[in-house]
Amino acid sequence: MALDLRSAGARRSSSSLRHVDLLLVAAIAGISAIGLLMIYSSTRQGQSAAGLDPGYFVKRQALFVFVGVVLMVGIALLDYQVLRDIAPAIYGAALFVLLLVVSPLGTERRGTQAWFQVGPYQFEPSEVAKLALVIALAAFCAAHRGDLDTGRLTTALGIAGIPLILIYLQPDVGTGMVFVAILMGILLVGGASPRQIAILTLMGITAIVMVLQLGVLKDYQRDRLSAFLDPKEDVQRSAYNLNQSKIAIAAGGVGGRGLFQGTQTNLSFVPEQHTDFIFTAVGEELGFVGACTLLGLFGLVMWRTWRAAITAKDQFGMLVCVGVLAMLVFQVFENVGMTMGITPIAGIPLPLMSYGGSATVATFAALGLVLSVQMRRFT
Amino acid sequence: MSGDTTRLRMGILGVVVISLFSALLARLWYLQVLAAPTYKTEAQLNSVRFIYTEAPRGRILDRNGKVLVGNRVVPTVVVDKTELGDKPDDVIAHLSALVHVPVNVLKERIDDPRYSPFKPIPVVDDVPKETLIHIREHQAEYPGVQGVMLTKRFYPNGSLAAHVVGYVGEINDKELTPRKSKGYRAGDAIGKSGVELAYEDDLRGQPEVEKLEVDAQGRVLRSLGKQPAVQGHDVRLTLDLDLQKVAEDSLAQSIAAAQATYDNDSGKRFVAPAGSAVVLDPHDGSVLAMASYPTYEPAQFIDGISEKTFGELNDPNGHYPLTNRVTQGLYAPASTFKLVTSIAGLETGLITPQYTVNDRGSFTIGDPPTVLTNAFSEAFGYVNLSAALTVSSDVYFYELGSRFCPGRCRTGIQDTARELGMGDFTEIELPFEASGRIPDEQTKKRLHDSNPDAFPDPEWYTGDNLNLAIGQGDTVITPLQLVNAYATLANGGTVYAPHVGGSILDVNGTEVRSIAPKVNRKTEIPAAIREPVIAGFEGAVSNSRGTAAPAFAGFPTSTFPIAGKTGTAQVSGKQDTALFAAFGPTTDPRYAVTVVIEEAGFGASAAAPVARRIFDQVMGLPLTPITRVQAHD
Repeated sequence: MALDLRSAGARRSSSSLRHVDLLLVAAIAGISAIGLLMIYSSTRQGQSAAGLDPGYFVKRQALFVFVGVVLMVGIALLDYQVLRDIAPAIYGAALFVLLLVVSPLGTERRGTQAWFQVGPYQFEPSEVAKLALVIALAAFCAAHRGDLDTGRLTTALGIAGIPLILIYLQPDVGTGMVFVAILMGILLVGGASPRQIAILTLMGITAIVMVLQLGVLKDYQRDRLSAFLDPKEDVQRSAYNLNQSKIAIAAGGVGGRGLFQGTQTNLSFVPEQHTDFIFTAVGEELGFVGACTLLGLFGLVMWRTWRAAITAKDQFGMLVCVGVLAMLVFQVFENVGMTMGITPIAGIPLPLMSYGGSATVATFAALGLVLSVQMRRFT
Repeated sequence: MSGDTTRLRMGILGVVVISLFSALLARLWYLQVLAAPTYKTEAQLNSVRFIYTEAPRGRILDRNGKVLVGNRVVPTVVVDKTELGDKPDDVIAHLSALVHVPVNVLKERIDDPRYSPFKPIPVVDDVPKETLIHIREHQAEYPGVQGVMLTKRFYPNGSLAAHVVGYVGEINDKELTPRKSKGYRAGDAIGKSGVELAYEDDLRGQPEVEKLEVDAQGRVLRSLGKQPAVQGHDVRLTLDLDLQKVAEDSLAQSIAAAQATYDNDSGKRFVAPAGSAVVLDPHDGSVLAMASYPTYEPAQFIDGISEKTFGELNDPNGHYPLTNRVTQGLYAPASTFKLVTSIAGLETGLITPQYTVNDRGSFTIGDPPTVLTNAFSEAFGYVNLSAALTVSSDVYFYELGSRFCPGRCRTGIQDTARELGMGDFTEIELPFEASGRIPDEQTKKRLHDSNPDAFPDPEWYTGDNLNLAIGQGDTVITPLQLVNAYATLANGGTVYAPHVGGSILDVNGTEVRSIAPKVNRKTEIPAAIREPVIAGFEGAVSNSRGTAAPAFAGFPTSTFPIAGKTGTAQVSGKQDTALFAAFGPTTDPRYAVTVVIEEAGFGASAAAPVARRIFDQVMGLPLTPITRVQAHD
């Protein structure tokens, strides 16, 4: 890939290309490859049983990955500092599409209005909004050089709060939680005082309790979120996902059942296995060894992103990397955690693994930002 | 903000990230390494399939253990439509060559809607065992085709006792819903009528349940064990197979004879479309024979009955062969009802056995006078109760019937009829029994209210009581109620619930349960009442003036005295119904018999000869073919 970038020959960036983080690029490539493999494994049986193309999902995902890679390279080649100047515009555009999707123009699926139907594809604006939030918050905090008084903190909360409200309208609890994670990550590094962080954490906990208790959530949402607390209680409903998922992962054992050999995976005991529950296929078919390898690759991505943040030449670049890091860490932890029953079930995709166009492309774009920051650390 | 603070904060962030990943890894370690064995068994449970195979039903035997309904193991080729693979036509062509059945016939059977969609479809029966072995050895060439040994219902005596044993069919939704908890599944067989239905719980065994482990592709890896099928229990009936044969045979012969006879009243031959004969043991209500005509072949229901055949069985022109006329047929009892009127008259004291009527052949009632007559207006002269029963004097019973009506009619006759179990379910275990009707003021009014056109008069008149006295009018009862009433007279007053089930046996023939006789009611029929009535009935059979005497000519009534009563019921728009009810020997009654033949003329001509032949059989006398007896009652 480094070779490709070189031959791309963009003049302004050519000097930075020497510094591209090959380890990060390799980890991204590895995760994407495992993702494609597992999507194929978990969909081919069901597809061919229905008389459909067993490669349907994997082909589409390959296309998403291709688009994502092109976008990542494009963003990496772009000087990220440009984004700081146009951050308000990006943020405004993101709010606009979020507003649009809850209007009648958006498409509803399974009770959530979060998509635009574009021909055979769905576009999910909240995925893009995550990036916009990272850029907007990073730009705001960087502009004040870590000096956040109560007024500025409130402004930062507002920046995150407005899209959050729009996402709650859809409603999409999972993505909302990612927004909060991004906010917390950037505030932590971007200058909030320990007192502020403590107060925010307290407020957050209070908010979660209130949301669970006051019926802001629909019943199924609350059930899913709290199922992990007692999965034995009602196996038939929300806990079904969780129990089947745990069974599948455990059945993999140390060495896994072998690629394409998972009975749970192939017999469709686990629902949404090619999307939110893709990790169960890894766990069952590739076992502890495979799952650890995957988590290791994710760890690598986190480490390199963390390093990109620390070595960034300016605070904006650092905070962008921190925002992306917070986003990825939260998504990986929440998603993998929910398949193993240690975090609530929420509709959060596993980055680079779960089937889905918007999320895949958005993740690649986010990593493009990290690459852009990282490549320019010396310039 | 200083660089140090930033580094510290990035450090904190790093620690948070590492902690979160550590939590994931720890959980992963727990699930996949520590707890894996327990979860693994749960994962296997998910890939287990259960295959249910129904157990053979128990057999149905006669009282001596002779097989009425058995089982036969049939080597059969079955096809599972859903598993024929990509080229079903090739597989069928292949199979066609192997079993020598044309392709189109095979396809027709595969698509035959009468087979259960839940099970592989039997396409070829009784194939040589070698064919089954060939299929098993070349399974790859025959996807979806299997050779199996199917257990099927087997009727060694064809239609014999068809109405008693009933038939078996695929369970329908209405039957399945209440039985789900009993382990029934869609596609299972269930008794639909007769003993098959009444003793369903005993006859049905427990299905074989095989647990199969299925791999990721849904293929069967191995059997995880089998819970073997438990064959259903046998039901030993009280029926006597030989007597049953004679009853059915005699009934059919008499019907044939009637159909060959010209009926002067209607100016055409007797239609005689249907009839029944039943034999009870008065000691305990057990049914020794139960014949209903026309009949059907229960074997037609094996593998599901075709719509066409089932349509024929329910076509009015076929006179409903599935109907058991002994328990479901409703008839006016006519003179056989004089049993009731006699007992009622004696019990109420309206007459004594010595009470005499001068029978001039007719009875006049009302204003303007209506004249009622005996058959052919025959005058019997002075008759007491016994003589009136022997010769079947209607005039005597008109007189007696009118005696209940000084002013408003008393209900003595109805009370006695009900005491003897008439107009109500006998509670035999066979399903779909009819209750019949003993008319009185209330029933007449109810009939009128429900259908004023058909029943224009709501009042109960003396005329109604006269009709009642000779078993006409609105009185309708089943042949089983009739025979049960005669059995009750025979045994001195115990009304049993008739039963066809004797005992339940396991596969080894050991008795699991004995079916005890059930007493519906105990009444007291004192000798002073019983004796003159029985004497009258004995006369009807053995006295030269007796209405049934011609039918019993030559029968050894001196050693085996029989009490009997003929009956001929007028049915509007139809030819007369022939009836005969009897029991014997009167010294120690062991057989109560009732014969009813629709549109066959006099009971003495058509019904009594059937009973005679049944008594010949129980006496071990040589059987002669039935000819129509020239007699009247």
